[in-house]
Amino acid sequence: MSTAGIAPSVAAATNDAIICAASPTCRWVSFGAQEEQAAIEGLRGVGTPTIRYFQIAVVLMLCLVARARAADDLVFGNGFEVPAISEADAARFLDQATFGGRPSDIAQVRNLGYEAWLEQQFSAPISLQKPYLDWLHANSQGVYQQARLEAWFMQAAQMTDPSDPTHAHSDQLRQRVAFALSEIMVVSDRNASLLFQPWALADYYDTLARNAFGNYRQLLEDVTLHPAMGRYLSMLGNRKADDVLNIRPDENYAREVLQLFSVGLVMLNPDGTVFDSDPVMPGVQPVPTYDQNVVRGFAHVFTGWNFSGCTAQNYGNCEPSNPYFAPWFTPMQPVEAFHDDTTAKQLLVYPGVGLPGGLLAPGANAQQEMAAALDNVFHHPNIGPFIARQLIQRLVTSNPTPAYVGRIAAVFDDDGQGVRGNLRAVVRALLLDPEARNGHLSAPETFGKVREPIARLVKLWRIAPGASANGRVFQYSHPQDQFAQLPLGAPSVFNFFRPDFAQSGEIRDAGLVSPEFQIHTDTQLVSMPNYLGWRIFWFWQGSNYDIAAAPEETLMDYSELRALAVNSAALVDRLNLLMMSGQMSDYMRQLLIARLDGPLPDQIPGLSGGTTEERRSLFRVQQALYLIVTSPEFSIQK
Amino acid sequence: MTPDRRAFLRRSLQAALGGVALNSPLGNLVAVAAAARPAVPSTFSDYRALVCVFLHGGNDSFSSVVPVSPVDYAIYQATRPALALPLEQIQPNTLVPQPDGMPSDGATYGLHPSLAPLKALFEQQQLAIVANVGPLLGPITKAQYQANPLLAPPQLFSHSDQANFWQTSRPDDASADGWGGRIADLLLDANPDATLPMTISIQGQSLFQRGSLIDQYVVRGCAGGSCAAERIDYLGTYQNQLGIQTFQALAAEGAQSHMFERAYARATRRTIDHYETLSALISTVPDWNVPFPSTNLGGQLRQVANLISLRGPGALDMHRQLFFVGQGGYDTHDDQLAIQPGLLADLAQSLVAFQAAMAQLGVTDEVTTFTASDFGRTLSTNGDGTDHGWGGHHFVLGGAVRGGRFYGRMPSLAQHDNPDDAGYGQIIPTTGVDQYAATLAAWYGVNTGDLPLLFPRLGEYDSPNLGFMT
Repeated sequence: MSTAGIAPSVAAATNDAIICAASPTCRWVSFGAQEEQAAIEGLRGVGTPTIRYFQIAVVLMLCLVARARAADDLVFGNGFEVPAISEADAARFLDQATFGGRPSDIAQVRNLGYEAWLEQQFSAPISLQKPYLDWLHANSQGVYQQARLEAWFMQAAQMTDPSDPTHAHSDQLRQRVAFALSEIMVVSDRNASLLFQPWALADYYDTLARNAFGNYRQLLEDVTLHPAMGRYLSMLGNRKADDVLNIRPDENYAREVLQLFSVGLVMLNPDGTVFDSDPVMPGVQPVPTYDQNVVRGFAHVFTGWNFSGCTAQNYGNCEPSNPYFAPWFTPMQPVEAFHDDTTAKQLLVYPGVGLPGGLLAPGANAQQEMAAALDNVFHHPNIGPFIARQLIQRLVTSNPTPAYVGRIAAVFDDDGQGVRGNLRAVVRALLLDPEARNGHLSAPETFGKVREPIARLVKLWRIAPGASANGRVFQYSHPQDQFAQLPLGAPSVFNFFRPDFAQSGEIRDAGLVSPEFQIHTDTQLVSMPNYLGWRIFWFWQGSNYDIAAAPEETLMDYSELRALAVNSAALVDRLNLLMMSGQMSDYMRQLLIARLDGPLPDQIPGLSGGTTEERRSLFRVQQALYLIVTSPEFSIQK
Repeated sequence: MTPDRRAFLRRSLQAALGGVALNSPLGNLVAVAAAARPAVPSTFSDYRALVCVFLHGGNDSFSSVVPVSPVDYAIYQATRPALALPLEQIQPNTLVPQPDGMPSDGATYGLHPSLAPLKALFEQQQLAIVANVGPLLGPITKAQYQANPLLAPPQLFSHSDQANFWQTSRPDDASADGWGGRIADLLLDANPDATLPMTISIQGQSLFQRGSLIDQYVVRGCAGGSCAAERIDYLGTYQNQLGIQTFQALAAEGAQSHMFERAYARATRRTIDHYETLSALISTVPDWNVPFPSTNLGGQLRQVANLISLRGPGALDMHRQLFFVGQGGYDTHDDQLAIQPGLLADLAQSLVAFQAAMAQLGVTDEVTTFTASDFGRTLSTNGDGTDHGWGGHHFVLGGAVRGGRFYGRMPSLAQHDNPDDAGYGQIIPTTGVDQYAATLAAWYGVNTGDLPLLFPRLGEYDSPNLGFMT
């Protein structure tokens, strides 16, 4: 919330323009503005004259309190409660920890505090995609990739789930972390052999969600043995060498599990910076984490795995004939006849490696070797900083300081109870870290990240609750075309964007990275605003647009925002909080207010007739949402 | 380019020229420094274009160009019992090279049946095959590689790294610009009156075209018959003057305090400007006599043809253009025999349509198209597919190509005792990407003396120019 933003909000809340608006002290108080706003909102709806005088008194006192706090940062006690977490700070926290805070979420974070909110999230009932597919199937509906996207949108935007209307999808942190993991341990329906396997992909996503607060070692194993991954990176059906046929084990999964899911290409320092083998030479001289022999070693380990139920007799030809058959969502199982149990395998070598020389002796079965190999990966010193940095990039900021990465990597290495790879502890630490909470103050020009395209639609559906008549979430077009991304739909195992992509110009010149910028191309900067504009202007409850009349079309509920839109400033300030965590510049705020106060066009999209007030409130909500969601300021989560 | 950016680059140049090694990120700027030399403005009166067709995932070129002479076919078949294409499928596409362009090993080669449409271009001497190209730090033998792998580029066989090496030709510098982008930076003055950047990608942000001075323009390929440039609808809405002004003011230069916001605003402004340029012109492109395949790649190459048709004065006003298109799906670890034919058929048909379009425009001699890929694939197989290799064969097409010939040295396809096998059927390149790229760059208009600025390791090779361009 900007400083200047407070006064009109107060006026709107109390219908009395004399209160803070007339007080120049309030206008210039930055510290504590949130507290005032909150206190005022808490008193809303209580309207007798006596109480209104009380309100005025309270607000004036708050103004003074805030002013005093701004002056010397006093801490007030003695029954005068100053909320520990401002609305803006709560909204900002929720932007990192979820797909965006709704008013109720913001209130909950402020009531509970960050830590208790996290604890509540850790134990919230899990939302899964596969049951939704099963429900559709049981109701004789066609089940394609679209179905799991429906489930994803329902869970991310917390819509009512027609397959289980009592389930509230309250596990917002889990879903946000699962999405981050889905951009690290990539499986994609762009792969021809997975395109018609929605159950496999839904269950893969569910696997990420189940493990989001679990242990990374277990996650690594569940991912490794998932048939969707097996098919995607061709470990499924991998077989031991056959010299006669000149066949060698497939190296695909072996290579990517090392390069992308765990240790990366070069040795890292504990803070995630690249280890320099020769500090005397100019520049950094990196040390490769592994060589081709190691890739071959892992490729030989990962032989003999196939769909559950496959045998040595049908090893090359045992794919389940229907996408809803269990082997598509049951961990792969070994067929020993195709497992290499005769060669020693060179695995990763690093200080303190468990296997002498990183060498896995021959003779063990497929399960034992897989477990030993994943242990070898899991204990590599790179894994903590490698995963910590990427999780921070996905949730918080593109350019964490090495100290921040180092703190989170240390938690990965040891959660304080001697446990390595505790993701719950990692997630908690990376969200509570001083840099996550205050980075926008300590590095105001560079902290943060570009918002992901598809998350913008979710954000809209969260603040102007989206719902359809029949509970489905139908989209005419493929989100890939509009957003250049969709869950589990990356063009390759290298995700939609790389962690090290640097937008040319100022960002790259400064030596910083901006991964999400990679998909904000010239074409994307047209298609995404157009698609979001289409939704905003036409897909709202009450719209007369013929496509919006379809029972499965998700329509936004503008009623709360339209009620506020009597006053353009009040609407802008509300959206500033809900969409931008109160970080809107005064420049942008004034531009938006001037726009919303501008003349009404003859046609308001989706509306025919209506009173001037109805037309104006709709016009203002549509314009404000569109101009914010496409603005450079909103586009950077800070 | 904004004055601020020029100032920054000038400062960086001073730092770069103040002794920072080529291996530093500022190494990119050596080319920029050359571009900044006032005495040598690179201006052109003619028109030339390079089109990079990137085969994402690593094409198995050892099944794209296959021996048909009996002894050589037998070796190929023995090496790849599970994947060898039947001889009778290759024989109809047997290539008859010009006498001075026979394959180095004396064998006779034919094209994969799906590539049959390219045979005519080879016969018309508009298509050349460059053998076994890959990223190198310099020529390297098997013995040298085995004795010291550090003589080869790092992280061989990884998709991302080798694809990057192909596009930067700088395996020694992880932060290098693409070689297309470096050429564009060097030839900064080539299109003094142009309204779009020299570098245009039809397939997302390409590393190949990333430059320090020139930002590539990313446009869509044609799809569903439509090639129209897309605009931001809001900016064309009726009675929305104040809304348009607000949108533009939010993205205005100098209106943002955060670095990423500035970058976002800059990208938005650029998108709007380029749309204005293109939308005014795109309806004037000709109908193409030979239809492009209705595939993704066909739509991309059709858009390139459209843009080339707009090259003239009064339109885009281009003298030099670099394009990037791509086709995915070549990472055939599985089901190679089922997957690769469709990909290669799409490739061949799209390229043939593109060459026909160039002929229609009368620029056959002015436009050169070349393939690139992550890597060639392994000679050995994993049953029904192949793994990440190193070197692979590539195609160069156009009227300026000395086509109907093989260039470079063909590697051995032997399973055992193969002198070109790095160890597991991964074939050591016998031609460096530097050579391949420099040959194209020299034709495009880079002075011979400036080639080492773009490709610092070019001096390692006996033949910096492979001679496949006129």
